[in-house]
Amino acid sequence: MAASVVKLEPRSKEDFTQTLGMVIALGAWAMMFGALFFVYAGIRTGTRVWPPPGLPPIPVALPGVNTLVLAASSVALFLGTRAVARGQRKALAGWVLGAIVLGSAFLGLQIKVWRDLWLAGLLPSSGQFASVFYGLTALHAAHVVAGLVVLGVIFVRALRGVYTEHNVVRVRVAGMFWHFVDVVWVLMFVALYLV
Amino acid sequence: MELQAIHKEPKSFIWKYVFSIDHKVIAKQFLWTGLLFMLVGGTLAMLIRWQWAYPSQPVPALGPILFKETGGAITPASYTSIFTMHGLIMIFWAITPILIGAFGNLTIPLMIGARDMAFPKLNMYSFWTFLLSAVLVILSFTSQLGAGSAGWTTYPPLSTNVGSPGWGQTFAGLAIFVTGLSSIMGGINYIVTVIRFRAPGMTWFRLPLTIWGLWLTSILNVLFIPVLGSGALLITLDRLAGTHFFIAGGAVGLKGGDPILFQHLFWIFGHPEVYILILPAWGIVGDILSFFARKPAFWYKGSVFAMIGVTVLSAVVYGHHMYQTGMAPMLGLAFEILTLAISVPAVLLFVNWLNTIWRGSIRPTVPMLFAMGMVFVFGGGGLTGLLLGTISTDIYLHDTMYVVGHFHLTMAAASFLASFSALYFWFPKMFGRTTNVTLGKIHFWGSVVFITLTFFGQMAAGYSGQHRRLFDPFQYDYISHLRDINRLTSYSAFILGLFQIPFIINFFYSIFAGKKATQNPWEVTTLEWTHCSSPPVYHNFDVVPTVVRGPHEYANPEVKKALGKDWLGQTEEMPSVDSGAAAVAAEE
Repeated sequence: MAASVVKLEPRSKEDFTQTLGMVIALGAWAMMFGALFFVYAGIRTGTRVWPPPGLPPIPVALPGVNTLVLAASSVALFLGTRAVARGQRKALAGWVLGAIVLGSAFLGLQIKVWRDLWLAGLLPSSGQFASVFYGLTALHAAHVVAGLVVLGVIFVRALRGVYTEHNVVRVRVAGMFWHFVDVVWVLMFVALYLV
Repeated sequence: MELQAIHKEPKSFIWKYVFSIDHKVIAKQFLWTGLLFMLVGGTLAMLIRWQWAYPSQPVPALGPILFKETGGAITPASYTSIFTMHGLIMIFWAITPILIGAFGNLTIPLMIGARDMAFPKLNMYSFWTFLLSAVLVILSFTSQLGAGSAGWTTYPPLSTNVGSPGWGQTFAGLAIFVTGLSSIMGGINYIVTVIRFRAPGMTWFRLPLTIWGLWLTSILNVLFIPVLGSGALLITLDRLAGTHFFIAGGAVGLKGGDPILFQHLFWIFGHPEVYILILPAWGIVGDILSFFARKPAFWYKGSVFAMIGVTVLSAVVYGHHMYQTGMAPMLGLAFEILTLAISVPAVLLFVNWLNTIWRGSIRPTVPMLFAMGMVFVFGGGGLTGLLLGTISTDIYLHDTMYVVGHFHLTMAAASFLASFSALYFWFPKMFGRTTNVTLGKIHFWGSVVFITLTFFGQMAAGYSGQHRRLFDPFQYDYISHLRDINRLTSYSAFILGLFQIPFIINFFYSIFAGKKATQNPWEVTTLEWTHCSSPPVYHNFDVVPTVVRGPHEYANPEVKKALGKDWLGQTEEMPSVDSGAAAVAAEE
């Protein structure tokens, strides 16, 4: 029994400081996205029929698949972080690359969703639904781009072998941001497409 | 609690003074930028006051330079830009960088016994982001259609393309967003630093009140500036991408959003914001009153819990800015009760200040005078606020000059006097030199008298019915008889402006040629004075001190007996009376 228990290094105090900083930063980001959802709720409750009539058909399947893609990206990053924390240093770069590829695929599919709707005649100036749809998804996508840049830096440094089981906090902290962006997307998907 | 490693001191000019990660240098960078913008914002205020004293007449001196086309007179369009930019600049680019940016950066590591901030690089980014926002707000002035002109609240539809076309308002909105980013970065840093880097023995209830004020402000900053950020981004989308978040009405038919939504976002941020600006001032004043009354701060823990109470309540009172938006009466009543409830901790704090100086042996130094001036104007501002928090009186006073006078007394006058209290107090620590006392006292008396007259004058005009923001108030019959009080208020404002000249002379003279400061010229107890040279070395503390007591150990008769002084530093052990007597005997 005892052999199967993985013994992790205790997190250093420095690690805790970094993590705490990210927790507080995520609090700020949560308030920012919370305000966006608040605006959405305000506009939606002020409109009699939702979605307003006269819209082109809104796809659900493609964004649904896309949600799974972003979730898979989060999982890849989680597995990579767990691997390096357990001492498998070389595994990290591959998993991070996987997370980057999946994150980019998410952006690609999101652009396709935007393009299809745009060509079908839904412009940002088309009304309440279009404002909310383009505004919220665009601001989320901006965070995905920022997350991809961070993951890119992590990937390069992982290739150089910077991260070890004793030095993994920056990967963890970047991961917290990436998972946060993922969770926000799930909420956005439910709020925009499903309910 | 964690001790910080010493990092290498930079040698080249650019890393030492420009892209510095040293909190003391960053504090000075914020101070310089903030003071510069205070000058800009103050000049704009003088222009507004000129317009209200002599509407549409050429402005002396500045007029021919600024308003060439009209021969020096302010046009209605320039006037709206001027009062908009005055508000924005004073709040985001003057008070915020001075009170939070400069004194937060200076005092947090020094007073808690840390070698630097938790995230020194983030600190540097915070300043450079702030500078970028400053550039954006200046760019706003270059727009051909005029600078931002929707009021500092940037309410739609005033802030839409219809209400304020052109780049001016767009740049102003972006500048608000970017300066918000800077504040959030600073806030994260301050919060983590206070949690993690307090010196051994520096427990939460041994923190100076200054640190409590700044820490609570940082929490509000981190939580509520993002809400303003969202609002600013969505307004920018409305302006640039054609969305209709806040646009309603005939232009967009049934497809529009709701302008009131923006007011919600704005005040969810905006009401905490007024406490963001005043909490550091409360903390600083709480400490300085105790330091110079040579008495422990009265009921220290009560003051701390009062500040925490205000911080919590500040998040749930914002509706009192929106009584006139057709809010449900029940909701209005809830906001009214919560708003009036916030005066309980505020009054508690106020009574603690009075009790702190009550029967103290007051040393009327310049920082002490400014601190007591702040108590006075804040008392006036706080009491007059009750009439605005109460719905039945607010209906009449809403959007009058009374509101303007009230929030200037609390946000502007109190923050202004507290900023100068802090500046005169920490000047020796920042620059290693002392300021001139006579010039400081001239600056104080001129400032406190005329700032009070200015803002009470505004309140009196507002109580008589004068609406705020009017270009020429006296063209309306019911206001025309208020010309004299407006002129008196304007003269007060001009004299207040002139009394800043002694400060400017004092500031620059003292930086270059002031008397060298000793380590602890004020004889106070906190770590930056007892353990750091003036100015402190790069790493602040060669050995991180161990704290054994709170920050306000004054007038202890046993200390006086043993050591012959009326104060005991935060790290000094209490001497036993016997050993003290023995020391005195040995000397003899």
